[in-house]
Amino acid sequence: MNDIGEFTLLVALATALYGCVAYVMSARGNRIDLYLSADKTPFIVWACVTISSICLWTAFLTDDFSLQYVWAYSNIELDTFYKFSSFWGGQKGSLLFWTLLLTTYMLVVYFQNRSKNLRVVPYAMAIMLAVVVFFLFLINFSTNPFERIPLPPEDGRGLNPLLQNYWMVIHPPTLYLGYVGFTVPFAFAVAALISKNLDDSWIRLTRKWTLISWFFLCMGNLFGASWAYVELGWGGYWAWDPVENAAFMPLLIATAFLHSVMIQEKKDMMKVWNMSLILLTFSMTIFGTFITRSGLIQSVHTFDEATLGYYFLAFLFVIMAACTALIIARLPLLKSANELDSFLSRESSFLFNNLVLLGIAFATFWGTIFPIISEAVRGVKITVGPPFYNQVNVPIGLALLALIGIGPVIAWRRATLSNLKKNFLRPVIAGIVAAVALYPFVPLGNRAEIYTYVTFVLCAFVLTSILTEFYKGTVSRMGLHEESVVGALTTVTWRNKRRYGGYIVHIGVVLIFAGIAGSQAYGTHTEKHLKLGDSFEIRGYTITYEKLVAIEATSIKTRIIAQLAVERDGKRYWTGHPEKEFYKGQNQPVSEVDVLSTWKEDLYMILADFREDESATIKVYVNPMVSWMWTGGWVIAFGTMISMWPDRLEQRRRLDRVRKQEQLFPSPAQE
Amino acid sequence: MKTIKILTVLIALMWVSMGPVSVAGAGALLQDLENQLMCKCDDKCGKVLINCTCSTSDKTRAKFSKMLESGITVEQIVKMQVDEYGETVLSAPSKFGFNLTAWMTPFVALVAGGFGVRKVLQSWVGNKNDSDSAESPVVEAKVSEKYSKRLKDELDGIEL
Repeated sequence: MNDIGEFTLLVALATALYGCVAYVMSARGNRIDLYLSADKTPFIVWACVTISSICLWTAFLTDDFSLQYVWAYSNIELDTFYKFSSFWGGQKGSLLFWTLLLTTYMLVVYFQNRSKNLRVVPYAMAIMLAVVVFFLFLINFSTNPFERIPLPPEDGRGLNPLLQNYWMVIHPPTLYLGYVGFTVPFAFAVAALISKNLDDSWIRLTRKWTLISWFFLCMGNLFGASWAYVELGWGGYWAWDPVENAAFMPLLIATAFLHSVMIQEKKDMMKVWNMSLILLTFSMTIFGTFITRSGLIQSVHTFDEATLGYYFLAFLFVIMAACTALIIARLPLLKSANELDSFLSRESSFLFNNLVLLGIAFATFWGTIFPIISEAVRGVKITVGPPFYNQVNVPIGLALLALIGIGPVIAWRRATLSNLKKNFLRPVIAGIVAAVALYPFVPLGNRAEIYTYVTFVLCAFVLTSILTEFYKGTVSRMGLHEESVVGALTTVTWRNKRRYGGYIVHIGVVLIFAGIAGSQAYGTHTEKHLKLGDSFEIRGYTITYEKLVAIEATSIKTRIIAQLAVERDGKRYWTGHPEKEFYKGQNQPVSEVDVLSTWKEDLYMILADFREDESATIKVYVNPMVSWMWTGGWVIAFGTMISMWPDRLEQRRRLDRVRKQEQLFPSPAQE
Repeated sequence: MKTIKILTVLIALMWVSMGPVSVAGAGALLQDLENQLMCKCDDKCGKVLINCTCSTSDKTRAKFSKMLESGITVEQIVKMQVDEYGETVLSAPSKFGFNLTAWMTPFVALVAGGFGVRKVLQSWVGNKNDSDSAESPVVEAKVSEKYSKRLKDELDGIEL
């Protein structure tokens, strides 16, 4: 089985290489024979990588410790669930998993487009195959997951206990789906540049891919935050670790791209900018992989055997140099009639939205690489941690939040004073009301609390501006068609999926902003050393330490569980069971926190320490509004789903627009 | 000159806004200290002390707590830590010397970008005005005040 896995990887590499060359030659030389031959390669490459992946999964599930990778990331006692996810637990498997997702995406793109746009698609397939070649080259010759151990041990070393969490099964694949997905719009953008098809067809062809990738990247970040929250046991969810930053930066740039492509679609402007943004987004996904696999920047996420940094750096350099050269070469073709009716327009607000999003991305990038710069300039390696990012990114983030509210209510082309007055009245009043209403209740003792107050006021402003759009649409529909409120709201949303789906996504973002602000500023925590029966109070909760239990869960895992009774207003409210897990052969025990999550706040308990006399050190955090963030994530998912849903009306509108344009400017053949 | 003044004011405002976020309430000093320092455990966990849950971080917290109780200030403890481990023990770059570039660069880039966007918008609006004025003179329809207002209102309400 392992031989098959290894062999299919080699076949995949050879086929991908051939496909890449054949696609390019067929497109350049108009050779249909080569095209037909190349057209078989995406499927063959996908099949080979899938077979290889099945072989590795089989090795994990059958405890085949003759493979060094299986030995390093699994053992006999490991749950089948985690044996499955161990596949991507280390560098070798994660690269194979990345390749599996990439080839799967490529196959879908192939089936979607093989009979369309034959001037662009062959180049796009060639670009995707080139990326696959890079990954397969690494897997075959530098970090082979099928590397053998001459004398196979009886049992494996086991999976890092921190990775034995259900989020481990969900978070990395979600994030990878996002990372890998941006290869598709990138490939089509480069293909458009090569083939000189520089209208907005590449954007339309890949719009859904961009949205899907953006969605997965967004959810991947949120799932990662959830994982950190429940597994790392420090009461937080985001630590501005370089690898977290690496996942955050492409998300920001992709968000800027998603907004600026609207201007290209509507006004045929910003072609160079959009090309640059998608190039940057893809480059950032490779940069993220570089960070995790180089060991150059200290991160809790770095793989044990992080040795591939220079390959990724070289790949990144080649991509950026080639794409920049290509954009420069095509500048005359990318020129557009850049005309704007007014400063005060939605187009301008989108430009500022791009500026702010890129500003946050740059600040994050700068903080991530500054330790390297400092070492190069001064010879002193420094740390750039959360205090830096919080102080730099929070003010810029607030500007972004304000722009989310301004965008929907400012008109396309030209906003007049009367239009501004009419559209901004309600949101501004809501902001003022929120500012006045919150003032007596929220503490404003330090900068964090002031930022939080401003965030809440802006959230009210943004939410009102979005809801007003729903209200206006619904009322107008009700007036015209005599529909019920729910019916009119549903129809309005369904008939303008892209627009209203986007608004729903914005509502999700507002919830996330509110959740972050609330949890960062108003949280509290305490740590107590307790004997059995001892109690303490925190934010109205009375917590009593009731018992400590030790359980031999498996032959390699022992669980120590504390039982804590939580009372509120004299009544038993909840029973918490934070625990510590000890794994054989691991230096540090793992904390399993217990969380009582409500809309208002989370009661978050950690068993920090315990002694033989059954006394224990308990840490309790009260984190307000954390669940708002997770809810925001689901709202984003809902909004994205609506936005992506196939829209026949939109397609019909586009066709009508094209026909009208053709009537206005008939092609020479028609003339 | 005007641009330089605006630039200076913007950077100054941002500089003020990024001052350290102080922590209020009991245990604030220890929390402040934990925020400023990295955990220096043998595993090189790379976490800020306040976020770290390893046994070394627990011992370090206990040690700092005692030091604070004995009257040593946060600044003194931070200095002692820097002397022992070097600048890498700090969770964020200091705000002087070369490290200042870490703090200033994002804001300078943002302000420069803001001016760039303004310039781009100016040129785009200028292009539009040029193309409008370059168009062949057309006979302007004398639209009544009533219809002009109606058209304007409808355009305001339209989402293209």
